[in-house]
Amino acid sequence: MEFTSDEEGSQLTPNVVDMTTSERVVDLLNQAALIPTDEKLTVLKQVQELIINKDPSLLDNFLDELIAFQTDKSIEVRKFVIGFIEEACKRDNELLLRLVANLNMLLKDDSVNVVKKAILTLTQLYKVSLQWLVRSKSVSERQESCWDLVTQMKGDVLALLESENDGVRTHAIKYTESLIITLSPRTSDSDVPKRQESDTSLDKVPRDHSYIRYDVLCEEGKTALEKLLKFMVHPAITSINLTTTLGSLATIARQRPMFMSEVVQAYETLHANLPPTLAKSQVSSVRKNLKLHLVAVLKHPCSLEFQGQIGTLLLDLGMPQSEITRSTPAPREQRKRPRHEEYTEGKKVKMEPALNEDDEDKEEPAPLSVPKPAAVPVAQTAIDLTAEFLHPLLSPENVANLVLISMVYLPDVMPASFQATYTPVESAGTDAQIKHLARLMATQMSAAGIGPGLEQCKAREDDAVKSEGNDEDTAAKDPFIKRKVPAVMLGQAISVVGGYEKEKTPPPEVPVVVKRLPEPILPTGQTKMAGPGGRKKVFRLSDVIQPLSDAEIEKLTSKAVRRILHSEKSIAQSGMSHVRVKLLSKLVTQFKGMMKEDVLQFILDDIRTRSDLAFALLYQEYNTYLSHLPTGELDSYDHCLYTLLSGLQEKPEQRDGLFTKLVLEAPIITESALDVIRRYCEDESRVYLGMTTLKELIVKRPSRQFQYLHVLLDLSSHEKEKVRTTALAFLKRMYEKDHLRDYIEKFALNYMQLLVHPNPPSLLFGADKDTEVASPWTEETVRQCLFLYLSLLPLNHRLVHELASVYTEAIADIKRSVLRAIEQPIRGMGMNSPELLLLVENCPKGAETLVTRCLHILTDKVPPSPELVERVRDLYHKRVPDVRFLIPVINGLEKNEVIQALPKLIKLNPIVVKEVFNRLLGTQHSEGSSSVSPLTPGDLLIALHNIDSTKCDMKSIIKATNLCFGEKNVYTSEVLAVVMQQLMEQSPLPILLMRTVIQSLTMYPRLGGFVMNILSRLIVKQVWKYPKVWEGFVKCCQRTKPQSYSVLLQLPPAQLTSVFERCPEMREPLLQHVLSFTPHQQAHIPVSIMSVLEVHKQPEPKPVEPVVEKEMEPVPAPVEEEAPTVTLERSETPEQQQPAVTKDDEEPMEQEEPAPVIQEETVDTVSQEELTRAEETQSPQPEPVEEPMEDSQPEPSDLQEPVKDVEADVTEPEVTEPEAGSGSEDVE
Amino acid sequence: MPSHPLRVAVVCSSNQNRSMEAHSILSKRGFEVRSFGTGSHVKLPGPAPDKPNVYDFKTTYIQMYNDLVRKDKELYTQNGILHMLDRNKRIKSKPERFQNCKDKFDLVITCEERVYDQVLEDLNSREQETLQPVHVINVDIQDNHEEATLGAFLICELCQCIQHTEDMEDEMDELIQEFEEKSNRPFLHTVCFY
Repeated sequence: MEFTSDEEGSQLTPNVVDMTTSERVVDLLNQAALIPTDEKLTVLKQVQELIINKDPSLLDNFLDELIAFQTDKSIEVRKFVIGFIEEACKRDNELLLRLVANLNMLLKDDSVNVVKKAILTLTQLYKVSLQWLVRSKSVSERQESCWDLVTQMKGDVLALLESENDGVRTHAIKYTESLIITLSPRTSDSDVPKRQESDTSLDKVPRDHSYIRYDVLCEEGKTALEKLLKFMVHPAITSINLTTTLGSLATIARQRPMFMSEVVQAYETLHANLPPTLAKSQVSSVRKNLKLHLVAVLKHPCSLEFQGQIGTLLLDLGMPQSEITRSTPAPREQRKRPRHEEYTEGKKVKMEPALNEDDEDKEEPAPLSVPKPAAVPVAQTAIDLTAEFLHPLLSPENVANLVLISMVYLPDVMPASFQATYTPVESAGTDAQIKHLARLMATQMSAAGIGPGLEQCKAREDDAVKSEGNDEDTAAKDPFIKRKVPAVMLGQAISVVGGYEKEKTPPPEVPVVVKRLPEPILPTGQTKMAGPGGRKKVFRLSDVIQPLSDAEIEKLTSKAVRRILHSEKSIAQSGMSHVRVKLLSKLVTQFKGMMKEDVLQFILDDIRTRSDLAFALLYQEYNTYLSHLPTGELDSYDHCLYTLLSGLQEKPEQRDGLFTKLVLEAPIITESALDVIRRYCEDESRVYLGMTTLKELIVKRPSRQFQYLHVLLDLSSHEKEKVRTTALAFLKRMYEKDHLRDYIEKFALNYMQLLVHPNPPSLLFGADKDTEVASPWTEETVRQCLFLYLSLLPLNHRLVHELASVYTEAIADIKRSVLRAIEQPIRGMGMNSPELLLLVENCPKGAETLVTRCLHILTDKVPPSPELVERVRDLYHKRVPDVRFLIPVINGLEKNEVIQALPKLIKLNPIVVKEVFNRLLGTQHSEGSSSVSPLTPGDLLIALHNIDSTKCDMKSIIKATNLCFGEKNVYTSEVLAVVMQQLMEQSPLPILLMRTVIQSLTMYPRLGGFVMNILSRLIVKQVWKYPKVWEGFVKCCQRTKPQSYSVLLQLPPAQLTSVFERCPEMREPLLQHVLSFTPHQQAHIPVSIMSVLEVHKQPEPKPVEPVVEKEMEPVPAPVEEEAPTVTLERSETPEQQQPAVTKDDEEPMEQEEPAPVIQEETVDTVSQEELTRAEETQSPQPEPVEEPMEDSQPEPSDLQEPVKDVEADVTEPEVTEPEAGSGSEDVE
Repeated sequence: MPSHPLRVAVVCSSNQNRSMEAHSILSKRGFEVRSFGTGSHVKLPGPAPDKPNVYDFKTTYIQMYNDLVRKDKELYTQNGILHMLDRNKRIKSKPERFQNCKDKFDLVITCEERVYDQVLEDLNSREQETLQPVHVINVDIQDNHEEATLGAFLICELCQCIQHTEDMEDEMDELIQEFEEKSNRPFLHTVCFY
């Protein structure tokens, strides 16, 4: 097989056009060897066409190659070979010499279909070979032996009439029909179908043929007819065989009218004796056929003598008389029918008694107009004679007695055939009817072998045999003479017309020599049969055998097995692979030992093509196990399965699912086999196939499904990710099946339960890893316990409570890991999950962080649902007043709730606060943050200003406002303007008002005009009554000069003085400003103001001075104030590097009023720093929002610490300032 | 199983109702099937029992359809003839006469005894050539739509059973007996030769 695979590529491709026919044939034949049956047939048919029709000269060349296909596995191919033999022999008769033997082989094929086809072909070839021999001038020895074989095959087919197969019998019948026609002479009254006109028949055989014997053939033909007739009366004949025979007889009668008498008589007998085995409908079928064929015979011109019998039969079969008449040929034509010549010539009458009758029948009767059996033939048949004998005896009285007697013998149930055939006797008592009855009875009697007719016939036959015997004697020497003559006499033979008389009476063939029959063309390698003598030798087993030693037996056995094992290809070619497989499996199971290893190894070498052997072996092993039950052991089976599976498992690149097939078709999966399956599943490249197999096992082998399931469950925590995820995916699907659900769930929960142990149990490390039990939990081991559980969680939300209970018991490290691991599944559950809501509602003690984490996961991407908000609110108010619960759902809360919670919220870790603000301001997520915050940004800022300072320290509030200002996108100038407007209208004024105003102005300088407006209105509201705000007011004026001059001028003199005390450097520019006014304008400036302005430079308005002085001097504040601010400044110096602006402002200020500015600037810088730090701490972590939460809040006990840490780090400088400010306030 | 797919012919009188119903079902089940009529003409019911519509075998189903639509659309819609023709034309273009078909079959199924007789007569009048056997089975089916459908299923079942026999010729006899018993109707069965 292998050599062709190389050639195939090159042979299929070459340009077909360029090929010669011969090359094309070679090409096709090569292809045919390799392709499946369907295509093979097409290709072979092409070959046949090419070498038979296109270029017959090639026929001889390729004959052997084509015939070699006769051993093909496929029935169709073998049938094709038969067809080819037929065509080839018809094309070139000489090929019969070579091919007949092959046909003979195929005639004995195992398949009935092949045998049938061979019979059909032999039907044709018999005629062909007869014709060929007859035409040959001289008959060679080979031709002779060829004909002998054909004759032998003819006998074989005739014997097939007794085949067990209905179809084969049917074909044999048809063969017999054709044989009878061939082996009898065609006469002028023969009804010859056009197609068969050229067919040979006995009349074409010269009586002086050198080898073919006319009379022998003639005898053979008659014997065949007898056989057929005998066959038909067999009581157990099947309906199909019967109808076939009926048809064949009709054909014979029409084509060879000489046999019409036998045929009609056979019909008659049959009609009266339908086989009892036929069913009712079969009886109707047969009768229908009988009718049809009778009509066909009746229509033949030679039916004249039988018209009476046929007519009666047809009437009985229910045909109307009118129709019978219509089918009867006009007798006139009969008159002139020419007689057939040679056949009935002269002395033949003597030696052929059977024909004798016919001849007489036809010759003598000249029945004129009475178409009735009354026209008695000269030599009658037994039935005729008996009927004649009975006729006068059938008086009414006798008949009545007969009926009465036979009543006793009637069966209980009416036979189907009777029921079908019974027709009321219409013409009872008439002569015709009596005759018919006589004939019916005669038929029965003859069939039973009694009656006078039979005896007479027998007597006649004896006479005939005697005369024949005489003839034999006379001709005894003939064959020998004849044999030697031909060479000389051939030329004259034809002219010697008179000489045939001698040859006409040859003896029955006395075989002279056992000739060598043609041998079939066999595929090379098969030895030909020995000479003719070899066959005859009698063989006795005991003569040649002797006992062998045990060792020898063993050696031979194993060698034999090995030979069977390694003859794979040659056996496959012969189509007997299944036998080999069966043999091997049986042998190996029976003998075990080394043999088994060999076979298994052999299978594994190429398991793909040897899988059938593998399966056969496996089943055989199992069968052996079963047959030894209950004591049988599975060891051998186990070993076999294990070896096969491991072999497959260890082979790389096995993608054809053979492993799966083996597993699924194995009758039992043993423990060790399961281990192999497990190993297979652990192989990353085959994990999917492996687990599919495992799944199939679980589904299809319910009795042990938990065992298989356990393997899969084990794999769900496998260290290889691919193995694990695949296992989880499979388990998830299986979890949906009710009967597996509990088991999987229990396993998952048990595994998770391991987390409550202080150290990971050794179970987690697998048997192979010898890890100390005391090793601590790692992220890895924790996850291992959770994989399965977490993948089931989205499928069954109820399981979440189990997690909560485990969580509360677990140690901190595990808790952290758990919190990290649950994100995906919790998100999968969604916030509408009733179980999750229940968890939030119940929030077991110790599981607060878990719940918070869940809340965060849920609200991370989507706004909280009202249900969730409700639960959290409940939890917060009634059970655990930890404000952090509120953060995830903050956007779901009411506005006042948020405002209430704000003081607590802003005290949290700055990063958390930042998150809260992000949520509230909607700046957290760029995508899909459709959540509508309950507070507008403006509301939030206002709320911050309004926080009761008793509930929250100012420092936190300032930090919170700074966070707001950090969001420039949100806090636009418009928003800030509205905020300022609203704050200003409040009473009392919020402490941080001016701080916010200044900060807004810094951010948006174009708000200057608006701020001036605010300042003016603050004057109306007597801003100086709020010391803190007033301080800011002054500061603001200072920063907004010269714009603020007009505002300053609106102050009452006392307050203006206070301004100047705080910022002396303001006075001079303001004065200059006033002086630059037109006189008219100056007139509007009150004198008291002017005096305040001019107080130092111009001594004139002295009277006013003391007032101002008084007002100012009693205020020691600036002096006192200086000290803390200075110290402040010093402490701040490290922070002051950046803002150059500040320095410019501050230096001229001469340290008088640095505090607010510095405070602001530092706040700015701090807030920036805070942000950057926050970013720094966040950036390395993948989950910026969540990670800090986890880190800082793994346990309730940890809650406060991180906040302090952060403060210590980040807010140090800021802390002192407002305190200093408030300190100064106190002093004042 | 036979080594090649069964070649089946279903024959009724006009190649319209019974044979076409069976043709339709058998071809849907993957059989290599053809259908024929044995009558000398194609006859379809007309306005009265004695006034059938007669066509020759050259007339296509579409032509008949159009003709009947023209004659009395309502009547022929109501008695299902148009529907039947519509089905037929989707299977093949026109009715075929068994006697005119020289193709060979493994199995010929006739739908009534008269048709069976005609088929046998035709097959027996042909000159024998290859001697290949052809089994002829008659299944009596009344010529109306319901019986045609039931009959078609019976035929289909029969064909499937035959197709699945190991050796069709050897098992045919028994199989038909079984079917007779099961369907409670007699089957005529014979074999002819090409």
